[in-house]
Amino acid sequence: MAEAALSRALQATVAGDALLRIKGLQAWYGESHILHGVDFDIRPGEVMTLLGRNGAGKTSTLKSIMGLIPRRTGSISFQGRELISLAPERIARQGIAFCPEERGIFASLTVRENLTLPPAVAPGGLELDEIFELFPNLKERLSSNQGTKLSGGEQQMLAIARILRTGAKLLLLDEQAEGLAPVIIQQSARTIRSLKERGFTILLVEQNFRFASTVADRYYVMEHGRIIHGFANAELEANMGKLHEYLGV
Amino acid sequence: MFDFLGIPPQALFGQLLLGLINGSFYALLSLGLAVIFGMLNIINFTHGAQYMMGAFGAYFLLQYLGIGYWWALLIAPIVVAITGIVIERTMLRWLYKLDHLYGLLLTFGLALVIQGMFRHQYGTSGIPYPIPDALQGGHRLTFMFLPNYRAWVIVFSVAVCLATWILIERTRLGSYLRAATENPALVRSFGINVPRMITLTYGAGVGLAALAGVLAAPIYQVNPLMGADLIVVVFAVVVIGGMGSILGSIITGFALGVIEGLTKVFYPEASNTVIFVIMALVLLIKPSGLFGRAASQTSAVEHGGASAAGDGGRSALLFLGVLALFFIISPFFIYPLFLMKAMCFALFACAVNLLVGYSGLLSFGHAMFLGSSAYVSAHAAKVWGFSPELAILTGTGASVVLGIITGALTIRRQGIYFAMTTLAFAQMIYFFALQAPFTGGEDGIQGVPRGFLFGLFDLHNQVTMYCFVFAIVFGTLLMMYRIIHSPFGEILKAIRENEPRAISLGYRTERYKLMAFVLSATIAGLAGATKAIVFQLASLTDVHWSMSGEAVLMTLVGGLGTVFGPVIGAFIIIAMQNYLAQFGQWVTVIQGFIFIVCVLAFRRGIMGEIANKIGKPL
Repeated sequence: MAEAALSRALQATVAGDALLRIKGLQAWYGESHILHGVDFDIRPGEVMTLLGRNGAGKTSTLKSIMGLIPRRTGSISFQGRELISLAPERIARQGIAFCPEERGIFASLTVRENLTLPPAVAPGGLELDEIFELFPNLKERLSSNQGTKLSGGEQQMLAIARILRTGAKLLLLDEQAEGLAPVIIQQSARTIRSLKERGFTILLVEQNFRFASTVADRYYVMEHGRIIHGFANAELEANMGKLHEYLGV
Repeated sequence: MFDFLGIPPQALFGQLLLGLINGSFYALLSLGLAVIFGMLNIINFTHGAQYMMGAFGAYFLLQYLGIGYWWALLIAPIVVAITGIVIERTMLRWLYKLDHLYGLLLTFGLALVIQGMFRHQYGTSGIPYPIPDALQGGHRLTFMFLPNYRAWVIVFSVAVCLATWILIERTRLGSYLRAATENPALVRSFGINVPRMITLTYGAGVGLAALAGVLAAPIYQVNPLMGADLIVVVFAVVVIGGMGSILGSIITGFALGVIEGLTKVFYPEASNTVIFVIMALVLLIKPSGLFGRAASQTSAVEHGGASAAGDGGRSALLFLGVLALFFIISPFFIYPLFLMKAMCFALFACAVNLLVGYSGLLSFGHAMFLGSSAYVSAHAAKVWGFSPELAILTGTGASVVLGIITGALTIRRQGIYFAMTTLAFAQMIYFFALQAPFTGGEDGIQGVPRGFLFGLFDLHNQVTMYCFVFAIVFGTLLMMYRIIHSPFGEILKAIRENEPRAISLGYRTERYKLMAFVLSATIAGLAGATKAIVFQLASLTDVHWSMSGEAVLMTLVGGLGTVFGPVIGAFIIIAMQNYLAQFGQWVTVIQGFIFIVCVLAFRRGIMGEIANKIGKPL
């Protein structure tokens, strides 16, 4: 049953042109084997969400795509180009950007330096004005001395804002809703929707299913380092039972 | 003209100027160290050698290519930076994931290799380097004569320091550097080539050292050892300033140079040691350094023994028995004096190892205990006419006192900072030994009588002497084994594994660490005192930093953290020194090379490898 749904989702992808195609991705942290053959595709312009419990391998999948886990095998092709053997900086230059769960705001950099740190990797990145339209708060904080003095929500915005400038087409966003107040989470969802309107392709890792359901086009569920289920947003109602079983929510 | 506190102004301003010059070099060197440490997490012990290479670069350019000072100022640092880049690419990059101490050990070995090779070629006498024509002469100011070249050095150093500061704190490239210091992986994921930045940073830091070397060449002459002692002072500067801040290391460098200059005016005897005294004060008041961030750092060294806490069970005791048997049989075949030397150094290395193995603190200054105890016991036996056992006890007592004082200060820092502070204190003791009246300066204390043990046994008899040394060394090793397996030893192990947890269990860990330190100092002192009686000599060699380095090397070769591995390490190193002595400076080069090989490929050491093979801790 699960496999039927998975293959339906995959077929849908094959019909369109995949922006990112992952096949048989395996990864290791030292001796421990964390990804056991992950397969999925993302089409241009869609918001894809990876769901799963703690330790299922969601963040590791993102980090593998970004090249931050050195030991990995299989295939990750982006716009037809194989990334599996590239270093992170080369992968970033293909037009992929990563926003980590812990935000990764630098304490020794000012807010402005944090915002302008990532270099442009492709034309078509957002201008600063457009970024301030999306995140009005950031403009006020620009003169602030230390990036880490911002509130959690503001750091969240800053972490996303800085990768919008670079011209990257595919955004890998890890656990955006974690540790934020409900109001801020709603704001986050609005941001993601407006990024989708601007043509960004987004791979979202989430534990917060409610948050994900307000933005995602498709879902994949991970367990034990594998994709075990996949479905489109339209099929969400039909899959609720299973989701509860998989996620225990 | 006026006098200031009875000091003529010429002298005052003259020394102030000299202080500023020294301060320029301190600032440039500690700046380079700080930049390298920020990106690579490595304390670059090779820094002094690279400073020397800069000076030699200028000399070579002039001598062989006829290229003068101004071009040398540009070319020499670039060439040295390129050698640095090669070093980073081929060696240092394998160490980033390991404890910081391995970086220190590797670069220490590199420094030995480089300095040894230059010494082999150019001896120890300085080679003069002319002041460039444009900077000849000077200006007569109202209160002093200001040589143009010295003014240039100060102005240029300040300019270079400020430029570096602006580059790091105010530019886009600088923001990459700062960000990569915090989180290199994330910066890479933005498309910035961090590994290349790290390589270039090492090159730049090393280039700064070489630049300082070129600046120094006309003032201090070009000498293979010009950086060797300087680097120890710069370490003290770094400990005082704290590693965290670029501006901090610049200010501290200049300030300490000036303080040193002023000390020369008012109390010349202390001018060599004043920086170390200030370091001690800073450690007391603000252990993280004047500008340092109070970063908590762990000090876990990858232990040589099998991963299950290498506390050396019965197999270690068995091994000790084998060693004892060897030293009982071997005098019939091997020169006994050599064996006694090996035993003394075995004890010395075990002392260093006890500290690193059971508190995670790697001392780079244990020569101070070996040396001071050797001096005191030699003095007691020769001048006061003590019997050998009393002389040894007196010497050991001296190192206990020294251990308590330095231990109380140094255990306030961990990891590389501990290594640097112990090194600095040892250097202070070295200068003391050089100047104090009773140590005999360069000659040392010679012709120490071996005397009659308990007034009965004549130690001039080689067999009696051998038995006495054997009893002391193996008795102490057995005692060490007992201590390691006592409740006290268990607590030390707990602290090494997880200090916060030991604290939360109610142990006052700093007391235990101090006790371990003093115990280690005592054993090192005992080794030094015994050695002084055996060889009837106490000299500056015993207290020099290279002796501390040798102890660390013996420990590393034998197996860091194995109980008796250092005995083997000591035997090998001493044998090497004995049989390779004819090759002169090549001994240093080979020692440095062994350091490098051990750190890169053989971190467990001999006993560690054996323990790993048989699956039992030794």
